[in-house]
Amino acid sequence: MGKILLKIKKLKVKANEKEILKGVDLNINSGEIQALLGPNASGKSTLAQAIFGNPKYKITQGKIIFGGKNITKFFPENRVKLGMALAFQSPPAIRGVKLSQLLKKISLKENLSSIPEQAYLLEREVNLDFSGGEKKISELFQILALNPKLIIFDEIDSGLDIQRLEKVAKIIKKELIDKKISVLLITHWGQILNFLKPNLINIMFDGKIICQKKDYKKVLRTIKKYGYEKCKAKTK
Amino acid sequence: MAMKNARPKLNNNFWQVDHKIKNIFEPKEVIILTSPDAWRKFKWSRKWFEKKPKEGYFIWVKKTIDLPLSTCITIASPKISQDLTNLLVIEKNVKAKFNVICNAAENKLCGKHRAKGKLILKDNVSLEYNHFHKWGEKDFVSPDYEFILGKNSQLLYTYQNLFPPENLQLKTTIYGNENSSSRLNFIINALNSNIRIQDIIYLKGKSSQGIARLRLAGRDNSQIEAISKIFALAPSKGHLDCRGLLLNRTAKISLIPEIVCQNKKAQITHEASIGKISEEELNYLRMRGLTEKEATDLIVTGFLN
Repeated sequence: MGKILLKIKKLKVKANEKEILKGVDLNINSGEIQALLGPNASGKSTLAQAIFGNPKYKITQGKIIFGGKNITKFFPENRVKLGMALAFQSPPAIRGVKLSQLLKKISLKENLSSIPEQAYLLEREVNLDFSGGEKKISELFQILALNPKLIIFDEIDSGLDIQRLEKVAKIIKKELIDKKISVLLITHWGQILNFLKPNLINIMFDGKIICQKKDYKKVLRTIKKYGYEKCKAKTK
Repeated sequence: MAMKNARPKLNNNFWQVDHKIKNIFEPKEVIILTSPDAWRKFKWSRKWFEKKPKEGYFIWVKKTIDLPLSTCITIASPKISQDLTNLLVIEKNVKAKFNVICNAAENKLCGKHRAKGKLILKDNVSLEYNHFHKWGEKDFVSPDYEFILGKNSQLLYTYQNLFPPENLQLKTTIYGNENSSSRLNFIINALNSNIRIQDIIYLKGKSSQGIARLRLAGRDNSQIEAISKIFALAPSKGHLDCRGLLLNRTAKISLIPEIVCQNKKAQITHEASIGKISEEELNYLRMRGLTEKEATDLIVTGFLN
């Protein structure tokens, strides 16, 4: 595994005056695939949004270091330019703007990656009336255009049937994992992990990462049997 | 004296700069004259001109032509005051497309552009009329256009102004006869400008239809007041769709949709809204690498589209 690409140190984050992240530590190395699991409202999406500098989330303590640079106070667009990309769980629609127009505008690559059987989406308005699966493909088109070193997928598996999930997982494997791009998969049910096999799995509970393990299958079995909060004690 | 049928710059069929006619290019089956010349040559045109015109163009389309016709009226010198009267007559069963440009060559010419236009669409005409305005920040602009639609005629009218003058008074009136349809799109990006829009569709004929769609973006120091009306006088259908996007604290938008029904078989509806840029959309685009300004511009472009 390569050197540390993303380092999060003791991160505390507030949204609407409520503390959501209560001291998160996380390291992701170059070329590594990690997963972040946790129940609803444990802070997974907040962590993703805070890493990308969404102004709605206020960092009250801690640091985010990417590629050796302290990016804690960077604008979102400057973080993206350093090589980070986030695939949204529920991306908003941008009315009147075709997906192809947006890709042209944001692309940091000379040649856009193509997903041939989904090319019809390019002529539609970004995310407008897209099905759950189409939104995920739209997100993939966009993050591939950003030529990133690290991608965070926020619930890429939500709203997908098993066939769509397998298709999306194959694209992620071919376009990202096989090209040694670092990936953090945020999920709360873990099905996608069977396709993408992470090197490390992190469990988030009540705003903290309470457990880190290498054997994702064991972790998934433990969560199923005892719940997320017992993960640390039961997987020793 | 205009130089007629010389190859025009930018392929304009009628090109006027300040008060001077630079070019007239007549395709086959189309008559193009200055309005004063048409007043003299065609007595029947006087009914439509109402009074003797000082300047402007007359275009008479007798048969369908394959290429779009285009006109360009420019202000290029300081403190010019144009007073145009334009008449466009399209004969029965003709299909036509027009690209009409009115602009200022420079930003601070303090020009005045008044245009009174009448467009006569005879029966079974199909017209796509694209009207583009680009003005300087000290100009005063006042277009007042009437469209008279014959039986079974169709009009698609788009007025687009992404570079507004200091003061814009835009008036548009549609008279729809039996089975005619009109679709109006007004796309305006206001910046440091005072804009008043008044559009009225009279649905006079049985089974006539009319839709007016307004997309108005209010940027810094801009005031927009839009009054959009439909009068249903016959069994007809009409709809008003007015939307404003407020982009700055110093901007103000007022939208007044008005529907008047004088026939119990008519169906007219309206919707109107004014909103601000969505923070969620803005942050989403910033997380795609666009700056706040680039993201705002893209959202506004999409809204105006």
